[in-house]
This record gives sequence, C-alpha cells and structure tokens, in this order.
Amino acid sequence: MFSVKPTKPTFKSYLPPVPTDVKKTIEPPLKKLEPKLLQGEIVVNEVNFVRKCISAESSQDDLWGKLICTNFKVSFIPSEASSKQNSHLSHLLLGEHDIPLACLEQVVTVNDTKGKKKVLGSNQKLKFNPTELILYCKDLRIIRFCFVEAGPESAKKVCLAIAHYSHPADLPLLFGFEYQGRRYHESKGQRVNGATPRGGLQTPIFDRPSDWDREIKRTGASEWRVCSINESYAISPSLPENIVVPVSLTDQDLKQHSIFFMNQRVPHWCWNHPNGSALVRMAGIGDPLQQRRIDQRVFPAITKSHPQRSEVIRSDVDKCLPNIQDIQSAFIKVRQICVIDPFEESEERWLSSIENTRWLEYVRAFLKHSAEMVYLLDGKNTSVILQEEEDRDLNCVVSSLVQLMLDPHYRSLIGFQSLVQKEWVMAGHRFLDRCNHLKKNDKDESPLFMLFLDCVWQMMNQYPAAFEFTEAYLTVLSDSMWIPLFSTFLFNSSKQRAQHLMDFAKNKAIPQGEDQVVYFPPVWEWSQQFSTKDQTLFNNPMYVGKGAACVQNGEVKTFRRTKKTYSSTLRGTPASLRNGLKAGGDSLTRRGSLLSELRPDFSLVKDESPSERFFRDWFSRPADLQGLLIPLLLPSHLALWKLYFLRWVPEACIAKGGPITAYHKLSQLVDEMEILQSQLRQYKGPSPGRTPRPSSSWSLSDQRRMYFKASSPHDPPSPPDFLTSSFPFTPMGNLCRRGGYGTPISKFLNGARIWLSTETLENDGL
Amino acid sequence: MEKQAGAVGAADGAGPNRKPWSSATGGPATGETLDSPTGSHVEWCKQLIAATISSQISGSVPSDFTRDNKARRRPDFMVSKRLTPRQQDSQDEGLYYHGDSDSEHPSNALNLPALRYGAPVTMFQDQVPLLPGESVQTTVKDVMYICPFSGLVNGTLTITDYKLYFTSMERESPFVLDVNLGVISRLETISVPNQGENTKGLELVCKDMRSPRFAYKTEESHPDVVELLSKHAFPLSHSLPLFSFLYQEQFPVDGWKVYDPAAEYRRLGLPNESWAISKMNSSYELCDTYPSILVVPTHITEDDVRRVAVFRAKHRIPVLSWIHPETQATIVRCSQPLVGPSDRRCKEDERFLQIIMDANAQSHKLTIFDARQSSVAVTNKAKDGGYESESFYPNVELNFLEIPNIHVMRESLRKMKDVVYPTIDEAHWHSAIDQTHWLEYIRLLLAGAAKIADKLESGKTSVVVHCSDGWDRTAQLTSLAMLMLDSHYRTLRGFQVLVEKEWVSFGHKFAARVGHGDENHANSERSPLFVQFIDCVWQMTRQFPAAFEFNELFLITVLDHLYSCLFGTFLYSSEQERAAKEVQTNTVSLWSYINSQPEDFTNPFYVDYEHHVLCPLVSSRHLELWTAYYARWNPRMRPQVPVHQTLKELLFLRAELQRRVEELQRDATSRSSSSFSEHSPSHSAGTPLHSVV
Repeated sequence: MFSVKPTKPTFKSYLPPVPTDVKKTIEPPLKKLEPKLLQGEIVVNEVNFVRKCISAESSQDDLWGKLICTNFKVSFIPSEASSKQNSHLSHLLLGEHDIPLACLEQVVTVNDTKGKKKVLGSNQKLKFNPTELILYCKDLRIIRFCFVEAGPESAKKVCLAIAHYSHPADLPLLFGFEYQGRRYHESKGQRVNGATPRGGLQTPIFDRPSDWDREIKRTGASEWRVCSINESYAISPSLPENIVVPVSLTDQDLKQHSIFFMNQRVPHWCWNHPNGSALVRMAGIGDPLQQRRIDQRVFPAITKSHPQRSEVIRSDVDKCLPNIQDIQSAFIKVRQICVIDPFEESEERWLSSIENTRWLEYVRAFLKHSAEMVYLLDGKNTSVILQEEEDRDLNCVVSSLVQLMLDPHYRSLIGFQSLVQKEWVMAGHRFLDRCNHLKKNDKDESPLFMLFLDCVWQMMNQYPAAFEFTEAYLTVLSDSMWIPLFSTFLFNSSKQRAQHLMDFAKNKAIPQGEDQVVYFPPVWEWSQQFSTKDQTLFNNPMYVGKGAACVQNGEVKTFRRTKKTYSSTLRGTPASLRNGLKAGGDSLTRRGSLLSELRPDFSLVKDESPSERFFRDWFSRPADLQGLLIPLLLPSHLALWKLYFLRWVPEACIAKGGPITAYHKLSQLVDEMEILQSQLRQYKGPSPGRTPRPSSSWSLSDQRRMYFKASSPHDPPSPPDFLTSSFPFTPMGNLCRRGGYGTPISKFLNGARIWLSTETLENDGL
Repeated sequence: MEKQAGAVGAADGAGPNRKPWSSATGGPATGETLDSPTGSHVEWCKQLIAATISSQISGSVPSDFTRDNKARRRPDFMVSKRLTPRQQDSQDEGLYYHGDSDSEHPSNALNLPALRYGAPVTMFQDQVPLLPGESVQTTVKDVMYICPFSGLVNGTLTITDYKLYFTSMERESPFVLDVNLGVISRLETISVPNQGENTKGLELVCKDMRSPRFAYKTEESHPDVVELLSKHAFPLSHSLPLFSFLYQEQFPVDGWKVYDPAAEYRRLGLPNESWAISKMNSSYELCDTYPSILVVPTHITEDDVRRVAVFRAKHRIPVLSWIHPETQATIVRCSQPLVGPSDRRCKEDERFLQIIMDANAQSHKLTIFDARQSSVAVTNKAKDGGYESESFYPNVELNFLEIPNIHVMRESLRKMKDVVYPTIDEAHWHSAIDQTHWLEYIRLLLAGAAKIADKLESGKTSVVVHCSDGWDRTAQLTSLAMLMLDSHYRTLRGFQVLVEKEWVSFGHKFAARVGHGDENHANSERSPLFVQFIDCVWQMTRQFPAAFEFNELFLITVLDHLYSCLFGTFLYSSEQERAAKEVQTNTVSLWSYINSQPEDFTNPFYVDYEHHVLCPLVSSRHLELWTAYYARWNPRMRPQVPVHQTLKELLFLRAELQRRVEELQRDATSRSSSSFSEHSPSHSAGTPLHSVV
C-alpha cells in the first residue's frame, strides 16, 4: 500500500549530518543467537552482525544482532538482551523485533556507497550488495537494518529471501496453514472433546443456522427466517450458506430472483429494529428493467415482514460514498504524512495536510451516511435496503456502523466481534484481496476494514463510556490482519474458506467432522496472541465500571428490548426512574411526533428536513449510552486516531502523558470498585442471618478485569514512567526514517543525477 | 443532518449562573447541557446502586437508603429547583432546550450543591434575575432576536447596568439570551429587510467570539436601546463606574487574600544570600508598572538599580520571577534594553546580569530569551530600543523566540472568529484553522516556554526573559515556564497565584488589552494575549489530563470574567492604578467566587506530579483548537462527553460502595463480638483521586 509511484520523494533530509564515528570497536557477539520458532516454522536464511537502527539521528542506541528470515517472519535477535523491562504489550507468538512476512508492505534494499536502491519483489535479482534493508510494514512501522559489518553475500541472500517469502504464490503457503495444522495435533491431548463447544469461544461465527436463529430472536425479527438455499454455495459463491430472508419469500422466489443480482447476492437480512424495521443488504442489478421488477417483488415481501407494513427505502450506497480506490489513496496519503514524511516538515500546516488526505472526510462520509440510515430505521420507522454493486465492500462498513449506532449489544466486546463476523467475514468481504496478502493485485487493495475501525474509534472518542472495549483493542485487531495465523482475515468468502479448510483438514489428517473453529481458529481466540493479563487492556474501565453496579452474574447489561429506553421518542431516563422529580407527561406527548410540529417561525428562516429535525431532537437530549447513539459529525468533531497513526512516531510520543494517564486512573478506580463489590458480596454471604466472613477477600484477583490495579497508599501518585501516549506500543526502534543527509541518495533526491545504474532508476520509478 | 442543536456552551459551561448569588454573569449560555447527558446517568447509577444494594441486603435497609438519599438531596435540590427555569433558559439558542430538561438532569442538584450563603437572587418582574447591586435600566417589548441558527425569535429585552437579558415565551420552551455588557466590543446598526420601516437592527459584536443580532421597532415612547446599551457597555467612556464597583455580592472566601507576594517568595526560599526582597518600588517610583515588592540581587546598590532602570524600557528592570529550589537557577524578567541605534551600553546593566549569573553557582552562563522576532528586535534599535549584544555581556547567550507581536495575535483571533462563528465551512474546516495561524502561535509560545523550562531544569542555567516592554509575551512565557517547572502552580490556588503574580502584579495591561468599559473598539492596544496564555494552559491539560488540579470549566470561567467586569481581578493595568482605585475594597475578586465552590473547578483526575517537570510535546500533531471555548456559541458544535464526567460518576459509585461496605462492616462488628481485625476498611484510602463528587 505504500505508494508505488511516490508523488514526492520518500526520503528527505532534514537532520544535521550524522557524524560518522561509527568506527567504535564492535565486539562480535560470540554466543549463538537462536530464534524462537513456532511449530512448523523453519529458518530460511540468516545473517550475523546486523545493526538494527533505532534512531535516525545517531547510531548510539542501535542494536547488534542476527537477522533471520523464516517462513513466517523476519526476526531480529539482538546480541544483548535489552536491559529495559518490557512494559508494553507483548505478543505470545511474536518477539519484540519480529515482523510477520504478511505484514511487509515493501522491502527496500539500499547500497549507500554505490547510490543504489531497489524495491524487491518475489524472485528478483539484486545486482548490488545491500548496505541497508528498510522494511515498510502494513501496521505503519518502518524498520531499518544496516549490513555494514555483515557478510555481503549472506546479507543479500536474507534480503532476497525476505522479499521472496513475503510474496507467497498461493494462499495455502501462508504460514497459518502450516502452523495451525501442527498446533492442532500437538495440542490435541489438552482438549477435552465436547466439553467446551468451539474451544470456549463465545463469539458467534454465523456459520450455522443456530447463530442466525439466535440473532433473529434477540432482535425480535419474527417475520424473518433462516434460509438455506445457498447450501453448498449452490446459488451464490460469495454469500454464506445460511441467509435470513422475509418469511413471505419462498426459496423458489429467491432462486428465480437471484440470477439478476450481481454474484447472485439476493437481499439478505442484517438486523431488526425493535420497532420492526429491518436492515437488509443486497447486490446491484445490472439491468434497470430488472431492477424495477425485482423491487416490485422484493419490497412488498420486506414490507410484509414489518409489523406496521411500513415502506422500504433503498439506499444506493456506492452512489454517495467514496469508492475503494479513493479510500486506498487517502490512506496512503495519511500514512505518508504521519510516518514517512520528515516530522518537522509536516508540522507547519498539519491540519491542512490532514484535510488534503481526505481520510477524515471519508470517515465522516461513512458515519454520516450510516446516521442517515439510522434516521430511516429509528426515526421514520422504515426498513432499509443497502444496495451496492457487489455488496461486499461499502455495505459492510455502512451496515455494521448502523448496527453499532442502534444496538448497544454490538458495543460490547462479544457483540462487536459477532458484528464483524456477521457483516464482514460471513457477508463475504474480500479480505484476501483487500489486504493483498498474496501481493498479486495492488488494484484490489483497500483498507476498508481499517476505515471501519477508524469510524468505530470516532464514536468511541465521542462517547467514551459507551463501548466495552478500548482503542488498544481496535489497534490490536487491525494489527492482527497482518498475522496470517487466523481464519478471519485470510479469505474472500465463506465458500473460499470452506474449500481451503477442507483441503487443509485433508492434508493435515484432521478428522472429518472436526470443527473449523477448533482446528483453524478465528482471531477472536485472543488467548492465542495475548496473555490474560494483557487482554485486560481491551477492557474499558468506564464501561466496566458502570456495569459494575449491576453486573452480578457476570452478565453485562445487554440489549434492552423495551421501547421505553430504546426508542428515540422516549429516550433518556425512564419515567419510572425519574423519581417523581417532575411529571414529564406533557412534554413527552409533545415530543412524541418527530415529523410534524415544525413551528412556522422555524421553517420561515431555516428549512429543516425531517432528518435534521430528528438529529437535532436527539442531540438536544442527553444520550443514553445503552440506547441509540449518533456520532457528532461536524469536521471539528472528528479527530485523527492518534494511537493508531502516531504510535510509532517517536517525535509525537508524549512521555508520562496522553489519554492513557486518564485510562490508568479510571482503571485503578474500577479495580477498587470491583474489590469493594466482592467485599459486599461476602458480607451479604450465602445466608443473611449469619455473620459475614470477609476471609481471603482477594480471591477474585484472577478475575479482575483491569490492567492497572488499585494502588496502595504507598504508591507514588503520579502515573508510572512507562505510560506514554503510544502505550501499549512503543516507538523505540519501530520507526526509523532515513535521515541520510549528504548521502548519494539525498543528493539524488535533490536532483543530482548520479544514479547511473539503469536497474536502480527503473526500479525507483516503480 | 448535523442539526446538533440544543447543546450550546462550553464543556462544562462556565459562569456562575448556577448559583443563586451570581446568577447572571459572564458565562451565560453555558452548558448545563454538558452535565446533563451524564448527569442523568449519575442519577441512573444512583438508582441502580440503590436497587442493587437493596436487593443484596436485608429488608430494612432499602427504605433507609431511600430516606437517606432524599435527605441528602432535598435542601440543595429545592434551591436548584427554584432556579431551574432560568438555568436552562440561560442557554444561548436555548430554544433547542426542552422544557422538561431539568427532570433529566437532577444532577445539577447533586453535583453542584448550592451554597447556603450569598444574597438571594432578586427577580425583576418575575422575569429577570438580578445580581446584588444590579438594577434594571429599561425593558423593551417586541424585540426580535435574529438567531443565526433558527431564525427570528420575538421577545422582551431587558437592559440592566450589567447585562442584556432577552426572553421569549413564544417557542415550545422559553428562550433566554443573556449577554453581560462587559463582553461587548462594539455596537453596530445593521439593516433588517422585510420588517417594516421603523425597524432597526443591532449587532453586538462580542469579545468572546459571538455576535448576537436584534431587530426592534423604533417608537418615540421607547428609550434609545443603542444609547442605553452603549452607556452601560462602555461606562468609562460615559463617565460611569464599571459594574464591579456596584456589585454587592458577599462570598465566604476573600479572593484578595490569595496572593501575598511575601508568602509566595517565602515558598520559593527567598530571600536568600543572593536575592533580596526589595521595597525600592514601594511607592511605584522606580517603575510605575511593577509591583511594590520586587526580588533583586543582594549585591547591588540602589543607585545601580536606578541606573539600570533608566537603561530598560519603561524602567522595567530585571527582577526575579522564579527560582529553582535545587540549582538556584532563576527566571528573571525585564523589558528590552534601550540600546538605540548607537549601541549604547550601561555598565550597571551589564553588571546586573553578571550578578544574576553569579547567583547561580551551577552554571557560568546566562541565557537571554528575547521573545520577539529577531528582525523586529533589530528594528527596535532605531526606536531607541534593542537587545543585549553578546559582545558587551560576556557569557550571555541570546535567543530569539520569534514570536510575532500583539497586532498579529489580534488579527489571528479575529480570523478565528470568522472560522467558528456563526457558521463553519465544513469542507475546509481544518485548513481554515491553519490559515488563522492561531495554533501556530500557540506552538511558538509553548515551544518558547519549554525552552526556558529546559534551560533551567536540564541546563541548570538562569534565564532572562524579555520582549519589548516585558508585559505581554514576557508574561506569557515566564508564567508558562513556571507552570511546567513548579507543580504548585498546577493546583487551583497555585494557578491563581501565578496569574496574580506574573500577569496582574507585573503590569500586564489588562485595561488596554481587553478594553474594559471602553468604547474605542478599534484601539490597536487591544489584543488577546491572556486568552492565548489560557489556551496554552488548556493544551497542556490535554496532554497531561492528571497533572492539573483545575478543570476546563475553571479556565473558561477565568476567560469569561476577563471580560465581564463583574469582578475586580483583571481591572486596570498596574498595581499602582489598582491601589489608587482601591480595587480590593471596592470590588470582589474572581477568586472569591472560584474558591467559594472549588469543587466545581476541580479536575477529578488530578494527582500531584510532585516535583515533576511537565514537558508538553510541542507539536502540531498534539495541538487542537479549543472548540469548547472558541466555538461554544455554535449549537452545532456540541462538545463531546468528556471522560472526566464518567470519572465523576465512577467516583460517586465508589463512594456509594465504600459507604455500604463500611456500614456492613460496622454492622458486622457490632453484631458479633468476634472481631475481624485483619480486615480494615482497606481501600478507603484508595486510588489517589480527588473524591469530589
């Protein structure tokens, strides 16, 4: 995704020349540096005496060690274990200096003395000995290695190996297929068959009718049914085997209609509003005549499924939103200014630069369109059909945002994961192509899922207590896209997943009938990646804390299906809780109607559409975080997601500051509340008559849900030193732009024509 | 679709209008709205706790709890309740505000218990709340408020000697607009088409980024609205007293006692062997814009000081502002040296700086930070000013901080007003902000202050800070640097001391920069330097949410009363003038108001970063436009629910839980003779957070 044709040079000099005093006596490490390998992981190539650059300004912090390329990752093993305590998130499968091959965006080799540079692809030759290797990563890191002291031939080999192995020829060559096969067999003994279905995974996968049934019941969509006409993908290659359709549409009807839809993606249900309105998505219809015919057949069926027989509105999603190429190019630009451009250079007109990338504009456009759909569903009480040509890209973003705004269930961790599973994975978002895991077709690459996560972050930023999970969770989730060990982000459709996993099971001698989720787990099995302690970073103290008072059986408040709290017309504190402070009956009836009552003096000067009125009305009242949630959408309300975009930038890292210091305090407070609660429970005791036993009261310590524990009075009050605005990540060694003042490269970039090698010039233009 | 109306006002709402004794003040139209979303949540949480707890414990307790609850709420609530109509109505654009809102935020009563002192609010004709000492000048019926967001509103306009109060009952909910007259920069007549011949239009261009407009019929029986407004908005231009001198409020705390220079210098360990407290300026003869008490080097004679005074612009000699408790490195402030085109020298001045350098044993250097752009400093030589030549001052290093002058800042904020009020250009919001350069100047200021702080902390070197006269940029820089270096100034009281010391006592020309009560709006002396300083402080609070004891509401309140002329704190330009006008006896201090209800202005996240030097990251990436202040009059710019609201709720929950646990513990120990010595009420000490709920 790094600009293949850079509009402006990537490397710019802005730093004073680095004194070349690197002639320090280098003690070649004698001890053997062994990589930590996963099951099935093998070393392809390695080179010693490599220097990992930590800072662009000086080499004094640089690390010496061995660079290794395996069939899974690029690994750097420093010869001296870092003395600093690891205070940030540690990954169970990846070391501090490891980069999965799937995370590599661009592999660049440089020979400083010859003034050459080449972007390496698969199976390429390299005519010079590289002095430097720069790895541009999809998670926005930039890692730089220096080979000045390394054996030139082995350095070159490692570079070529890295380039080659990061361009797998075929999907099953991704390391996950090797790893999960081994893991399955090796951990088989530990599994008790059937004891915990799906390995204890709580997130519904929506690969079975029962998951859909449960969702239909949960949302009260009684006029909708699970339909299995797509069993064995007989109708549509990209829809899941089970879809939900109006009760009044027969399988026969659907089969008939399906031929007119792109990819045979017939209208399929996403979600139901408690008022009966449904959210439906479908693909485009090529022939406009057919479109009208289909509308006449499908719309009445959806109307019939609405308790009030309310009308259906179709929204042409791709007509009013940026397309995947727009989104891709915006992302490239925003990455350019955040991590690639020299820091000082973009300081001057930062806000304008951000605006020029259009990234926030697109984020806003998606949120806005989704909010308009919310108005139709909630305010106008109509069902909505999202129509997109393929129904596999923009529709995923819009439908999941709409549900996130309307249904608090999806703002819980499990709910959110089920939403991604339902509207992205099962709906056939082409993760394989959009992530460009095989690096085959750059045109198909687009960070749509990333855009969605940014939209979620914007809502989270505006309603910090409304989500069970944190921005660290969203960031980690985005990073997981580039670790090809989980089934979630590897496939274009559930058909493709089914085929590949069937072959996989056959090849790896996995018994027939074994659950896919068990032998090739989705990313939602977080224990594969992080310790229980680290996973507590996903928990939002504000959400947990408020739940604390009512969470008694481990069950967080879920989707309340009472119209009272849910409907926009009666949002806010339920009357029963108002404690008789004021009889609100009067105003409630007045506000009951949303569409009328435009006072003449309002409309005279300013025309207000019903939807504007709806939003104004909503914003004029306090938000119920367990009800409808609409994001504020002026440009001033949207912000750059700093944790995601700036976490690796050392110059942008606030030491001992940033929002994390507030999170730290809140976590401690909530932890303390949980302790108090357990005390309360103990006092209450099993039988109220007896004296309570406040025995070993910290028995719940292992269930404590906060990363930061309640402090004791002896702790210093100020936040710990390791808290920075990048926490739980660290910019140390993860973003090393090239200073390169006075080097041939910078001269070249400044216009001096000393790059004579045709190879270099050609490839540089690439 | 962004008709996000209804919520006007600042993040917390500013202004004391929630309180009976100060109901209509500088921060009108403030955000009950912000408290409210979460406010209702507090109530909800309370109910929930009550429910949960009562379900957990035996029968007698729930009723107990309820009673308790009521008892706690009632007295305060009654007070607030009485005030509720106007609380909610005081919203600018309050028409979006629904009549039953108060029932949705009973938290007003909980979060902000009304004080039980202070004069009761008098209501004029049951409509207009009046402050003690405030009197109604006129009432005009059938006035139209031209709302930029929703059109015309017909109502009644009341003008007092302190405020303009517009009410309308014609909407679904009563609408009130409350503008204190001090905030008005100029009155402009505007044309009002289609409203009949006798209709006049009036625009009040305000200093705080809004410009409400009215249309009214001119009838002979009506007094001239413009004339009356102008008289009371610009009393000094009409030989009338400022309202502060009429305001009769009594507060339980005397804010004038906040700053005692001797005590503050004592806190800094002064006097010591190198620095003395000097009374040379006790009658303001040495320098009429400096305070009476100064800290100067011990080893210098009064005669020398007088000679230095002659060599420094406006006689503003180098004096100590702050001293590092460990290294003895100092921040010294002054004005530019009067070098002139012929490069004049002053031996005493050179020696003075040498002594300042020598007073710090840790360093043999002295750094001068000249806030100005170097080119300007050079031009100043022609005007008899200039800068210290490094060749005449040995071991002195001169740095220019390249900060533009007051006129550039005024222009920048003027542009900002166009960007945020009344409408914003959605497509170019970010670049429009860039074009005002406001954030760029904020960055320059913070960068300058950070350099000063770093020089002292890491370089252990004393610094001298000046600009031209040493009362604008110098005050900004020294106070920001002190805020970074000294955690005391990051407390609620400490910050007041900082403002009183570096700004008020050292002669920042508030009267000229703000133009209190003066109709000459085009005066080029006006400039938002203090606003800029508060903005820098806000930026720091954003980067370090736990390092400051005060909250955003405090900063907004300070800015509102910078203009309001309700309090005497920011009146006049020097200590001498204030003494002559007997400001302390005749007016009320802003800090009296603030410190009478500190809980409203306290940041619940605050933990003392004791002895910790704050290094804000001076990068555009972390500087934001303070929309909660600049854009608060635009109802569509409703600010986001700040995290600290949730924290307050959680603190409330914790307190509730603690109470229950302790109660049960007491219960348990009294019921059973066997004592559980090992279970002390363990976590009552708890996480060090301000437990103000």
